[in-house]
Amino acid sequence: MVNTLPQVAALLPVFLLAFTGLALLLVDTISPDTRSNTSMAVVGAVGSLAASAASVWLVVSGTGSPDTGGAITLFAEAIKVDTMALFFSAIFASVTALVVVAAHDYFHDHASPAAFYSLTLFAATGMALLAAANSLAVVFVALEMVSLPSYVLVAYLKRNRGSVEAGLKYFLVGALSSAIFLFGISLVYAATGSLLFGGVAEGIGSLDGLAGIAGLGIVMIVGGVAYKTASVPFHFWAPEAYEGAPAPVSAFLSSASKAAGFVVAFRLFTEAFPVGASLAAGIDWVLAFGVLAAVTMTLGNFAAAVQEEVKRMLAYSSIGHAGYVLIGVAALSAGGSANGSVMGAAMAHLLVYGFMNTGAFLFVAMAERWGVGRTFEDYAGLAKRAPVASTAMAVFMFSLAGLPPFAGFFSKYFLFMGAIDNGFLWLAAFGAVNSVVSLYYYSRVVKALFIDDPASSSSLDAIDVRPTGLYAAVVFAAVATVLLLPGFGPVIETAEAAASALF
Amino acid sequence: MIDVFSYVPAIVLLPFFSFLIALGVGKYLPKGGAFGGIAATAGSFLLSLWVLATVAGGEAANRTLYYWASEGGAGIGPTDIELSFGILIDPLSALMLVIVTLVALLVHVFSLGYMNDEGETGLPRYYAGLGLFTASMLGFVVADNLLMAFMFFELVGLCSYLLIGFHFREPGPPSAAKKAFLVTRFGDYFFLIGVVAVIATFGTAQFAGTESFPHLAEAALAGEGSVAWTPAGVELQTWLTVVGLLVLGGVVGKSAQFPLHTWLPDAMEGPTPVSALIHAATMVAAGVYLVARMYGFYALTPTTLAVIAFIGGFTALFAATMGVVKDELKQVLAYSTISQYGYMMLALGAGGYVAAVFHLTTHAFFKALLFLGAGAVIIAMHHNEDMWDMGGLKAKMPVTYYTFLAGSLALAGIFPFAGFWSKDEILYEALVHGLNDPLLLGGYLMGLLAVPVTAFYTFRMVFLTFHGEARSDTARDPEPVRWNVKGPLTVLGTLAVVTGFINMVPVQKVLGLEGIDLLHLWLDNHWGGIEGLSSHHYADIGPYSSGYLVGGEVGTVLVGAAVSLGLALGGLLVAWRLYNVPSPTEHTAKLGGIKDVLYNNYYLDELQVWLAYRTEDVAGGANTFDQGIIDGVVNGVSSVSLFGGSRIRRIQSGVVSQYAALLTLGLVALLLALGLSGGWFL
Repeated sequence: MVNTLPQVAALLPVFLLAFTGLALLLVDTISPDTRSNTSMAVVGAVGSLAASAASVWLVVSGTGSPDTGGAITLFAEAIKVDTMALFFSAIFASVTALVVVAAHDYFHDHASPAAFYSLTLFAATGMALLAAANSLAVVFVALEMVSLPSYVLVAYLKRNRGSVEAGLKYFLVGALSSAIFLFGISLVYAATGSLLFGGVAEGIGSLDGLAGIAGLGIVMIVGGVAYKTASVPFHFWAPEAYEGAPAPVSAFLSSASKAAGFVVAFRLFTEAFPVGASLAAGIDWVLAFGVLAAVTMTLGNFAAAVQEEVKRMLAYSSIGHAGYVLIGVAALSAGGSANGSVMGAAMAHLLVYGFMNTGAFLFVAMAERWGVGRTFEDYAGLAKRAPVASTAMAVFMFSLAGLPPFAGFFSKYFLFMGAIDNGFLWLAAFGAVNSVVSLYYYSRVVKALFIDDPASSSSLDAIDVRPTGLYAAVVFAAVATVLLLPGFGPVIETAEAAASALF
Repeated sequence: MIDVFSYVPAIVLLPFFSFLIALGVGKYLPKGGAFGGIAATAGSFLLSLWVLATVAGGEAANRTLYYWASEGGAGIGPTDIELSFGILIDPLSALMLVIVTLVALLVHVFSLGYMNDEGETGLPRYYAGLGLFTASMLGFVVADNLLMAFMFFELVGLCSYLLIGFHFREPGPPSAAKKAFLVTRFGDYFFLIGVVAVIATFGTAQFAGTESFPHLAEAALAGEGSVAWTPAGVELQTWLTVVGLLVLGGVVGKSAQFPLHTWLPDAMEGPTPVSALIHAATMVAAGVYLVARMYGFYALTPTTLAVIAFIGGFTALFAATMGVVKDELKQVLAYSTISQYGYMMLALGAGGYVAAVFHLTTHAFFKALLFLGAGAVIIAMHHNEDMWDMGGLKAKMPVTYYTFLAGSLALAGIFPFAGFWSKDEILYEALVHGLNDPLLLGGYLMGLLAVPVTAFYTFRMVFLTFHGEARSDTARDPEPVRWNVKGPLTVLGTLAVVTGFINMVPVQKVLGLEGIDLLHLWLDNHWGGIEGLSSHHYADIGPYSSGYLVGGEVGTVLVGAAVSLGLALGGLLVAWRLYNVPSPTEHTAKLGGIKDVLYNNYYLDELQVWLAYRTEDVAGGANTFDQGIIDGVVNGVSSVSLFGGSRIRRIQSGVVSQYAALLTLGLVALLLALGLSGGWFL
C-alpha cells in the first residue's frame, strides 16, 4: 500500500467497477432513446480495464501483503483487503473487460443493449466485494449482488424462450440455494456468536456441545458455495443457464462468477472455519469437499463427453473444472505443508481458466453471431474461413484439456502436485483420469474445426462479417493463455504467497 | 609463442567446412568438391603434425572450450554436473590425429581415381560424407569427456550409414547401411546407458585431471574418496565393472567384435575408399580408441579386462577362420579387419596398452593400404571383385602389386614388416600376463592360432589375385590406374614397411639397446603428457603381474617371437603350396561340412535374424497386451464415461422442481453422512 493514500484506497478496484456501473446508468439516463451500444461498451471496457490495472498495481505495490503490514481491514473489520482479494479482483475485472468488448458485437442488433453493460459491471462489483469480505453478512450481501444481476443477464434475450426459461430456472435454484446459505450462516452465528471470520474461527475452537449446530451450518454454507461454483449437487442450473444465456453472459458466469464462488470458499474455509479447529470439533468439511470435488469433476466431464452442442459441452466442462478447483479446498489438511501451494495452484488455475474458458465461450458467441449453428457438425471446416479465431479456439481447447505447452497444463500440474504433496493422491488420480476423458471432447472441437469437411459447400457462407470486438477479445484471450506460460512463474508465486498468508 | 592447441578445433572444423562446401555448392565445383576435401584434410594433417611435434616438445592440453549445459553446475540431478565440449591432447590423441588425418587425406586423393575417374554420380554427396566422417572422427579423438565422445561416436555411425549406402539405388548398399546402423546402434544403446551411469556415478565424464572419472574411481577404490552415487546394495567394484561393460557395448558394436561383428562384412557394399576409411582410421578404430582413451578406468576392473581380452582373442580367431573361404577380395579384407581389431582388444584386455595402440597404428596404415590396393585392383577389373576371375595381375600393375604385397606381409605378421612388431608385442603381453591368468591364456592361445590362419588367407588372396595365369578377359587386359591411385599406395606401402620400427621392443630386450622403443616412451609421457594418462600409470593400477617361460624375459621374447613367426610362415607356405600355381583350384571342398559353416559365417547372421524374429514375437506379445489390456482399459473408460454421461443427461430433465428435489436430497445426504461420522446428532 502506498502510504500517502488513505486505507480505503485499497478498495480502488471495487470503487472503479461500481462507478463505471453508475456512469453507464448515467449515460443511459441522459439519452435513453438513442442506441448507445458503442459508447456504453467503451465506457464499460475502460472502467473494467482500469479496475484490472488498479488491482495489478496494488498487488505489485504490495498492498495487504504480509511484507507491508498485513491485510487492510475496513468498516469495523467487515472488509479485509489482502493479496488474494486483489488477485481475484484482477481476474474479475479482466474477464469483465473481455465480456464487455465481445458483447459490443454480440448485441449489435439488440434493441436495448444499455442495461447489459451496467448489470455486468454491478455483478463484477459484487464479485470484487466478495473477494474482500471478512464477515458472513458481507459475504451474503455481496453474493446476492452478484446473483441478482446474473439472473437478469441470463434472461437478457427476452424474446428468446430459451434465454427466459434459463433465467427463471437459474433464479429458482438460486433462491433455494441462497436460502440454504443464509440458514447456514444463521446456524453458524448461533453456534459461534460472531459474523466476523476471526470471531467465527475463535468460536469453532470452543464449541461446547454446539458442534452439531455449527456442523449443520457449515455444510449448508458448503452448499451455498457449491451453488455459486456450479458444483454437484447444486449444479443443475448451470448447463441450462449457460446454454440459454447470451454467450458473453455464459462466459461471464462460467469464469468470473465461478471464481467469485471460489474466493468465498477459499476465505471462509481458511479464516472462518480453519481446517485444524474444524476437524478437532468433528466437522470434517474437508471430506465433504473431497467428495464434491470427485463427483463434480467426474459428472462434468462424463456429461460433457456426450453432448452434441458445443456450448452445452462447454457448460459441462465448466462444471468439470469446478471439480478440479475444489481440490484446492478439498486437499487441505491440518498443518499440511502444501496447504498454501495447493490452494495457490487452485487460484492460479482460476486465473488461467478465466482466460481460456472466457475465450472459448466468446468463440461460441462469435459462432452465434455468424449463425453457423450450435452442434459440433455445424462447426466443421470453420478453420477454412476463420483461421485466426479457429486457431485461438484450438489453443483454448488444448489448454482446457491441460496439454503442454499451454498455461492450462501448468496450473493443473501444480494443482495435482500440491494435492499429492498434501497426501491426497486419490484426488489427483481422479483429476488425472478426468483430464484424459476431457481430452476426448475438447479435441472433438478441434477436429471439427480443422479436419472435418463442412456439411455442404454453402454452410460456411454465413461467415460474412468480421466482428472486430469479438475477434479482439478472442485473440486477446488466446494470447493471454499462451503468454501465461512464460509468465506462469510470477502468477503461481503471487497466488501461493496469497494463499499461504491465509494459513 | 603461438599456442598450437588453440588450433585444435580447426583440425576438426576444416573437414566439417569441406562437408558444408561439398554439400552446398559441390555441384558447381570441379571434381564434385574433391579438392575442398583434399585441402581440408591436408590442412588438418599439417596441423596434426604440428600438434604432434608440440606434444613431443613436452606440452599437452586438457581444456574445456564450451559449456553447453549448466555452467557452474546449477543443480541438475543429485550432483553438480557440467556438460561441455573440450579438447584433450596428449600423446595418444596426438598420434591418433596424425593417423586419422593422414589416412583421410590419402583416401580423398585416392577417391579422385576411384570415384571421379570412374564417372560416378552424386560426387558432392560422397565428398560431403567423407568430410563429415573425418570431422566426426577427429572430434571423437580430441574429445575430453565421455559424453562429447559419445556424440561424435554417434556422428561417426551416422556417416558410416550415409557412406555405406552411397549407391542407394542398388539393392545391396541400403540394406548393408541399415544393418551397420542398427547393429552398431544396438551396442551404442549400452554405451549411452554407460555414459549416463558414469555421469550419475561420478558427476563428471572428464577423461583426464584430478576431477576425472578414472581418477575418482581409482581414489574411491583405494578408499581415499567416494563417488557421488552407486545403486543401493551394489559394491563399488561390481558397479564399476558393470559401468565398464556397458560402455564396452558401444566398443563391441563399433569395433565389430563378436557377436556384433556381422555388420562389417556387409559394409563392403560401400565404395572401396570408404571401406578403407572405415576400417583403418575411423569407425572401427573408434571403439578400440575409446577403450585406450579411458584405459585408466578399465584397468581398475580385472573382470572387464578379462572380458575384453577373451572377446578380442576369440574374435581374432573366429573372424580369421571365416576369411579363409571367401571368394571376394574385399570380403577377405573385411574379415581380416575384424580379426585384427580382435588382436587390439586382446592387447587391451591383457594390459598391453602400448601394444594395442601400436597395432592400431600399424594396422591403420597397412589396412588402408590393402583396401586402397584392392580398390586399384577393382578399378582394373571393372568392378569385378571375385578373386577367381583375377590372377596374373602382378606383371600388369607392379606398383599395386608390390605395395599390396608389403601390406599383406604386414598383415600376416612377417618379419620385419610393421604388423610383425605390433602383433608380436600383443602376443608377448598376453603371454607374460596370461601365465598367471587362465582366461587370458585362453585369449593368447586363440590369438596365436589365428596367426597361421591370417597368414594363410592373406596369401591365398595375394596369390589368387596377382599370381598365376589370368583367368578372365578383364584380368588379361586390366584398366590402368593413374597417379592418384599409385601415390597413396606408395605412401602407405612405405609406412607398412617402416612403421614397425617405432617400437622395436624385442630387439631392445634381446640386445639390451635402450631407447629404441619409441612408442613406449611416447605413451609413457617420456616427452611430456598429462598426469595419470601414461602407460606406466596404467600398469601400476592394472591387475596383472608378469610371468616368464624358460630363459627369463629374453628367452620368453625369443620363444614368443619365434613361435608366432614360425606359425605365420607356416600359414604362408600352405597358401604358397595350394594357390601359387599357374591355375589354382578351389580347395575348400576338402574342408567338408566345415566349409558351409564358414561360408555362412557360422550362421551368425541367421542367428541374428532368428533373434530379431523372436524379438518380434515379444513385441507382438507386447502389442497384444497393449491392444487388449491397455487399450481395453482406455476403451472401457471411454465407454463407461459415455454411458455414464448419457445417464447424467437424463437427470438433467429440464424440470426445475426435480432439480430442487435432487439438490435438497443431495444436501441432506451430505449432512447425514458428515453428521453421523462427526457425531453431531448425539
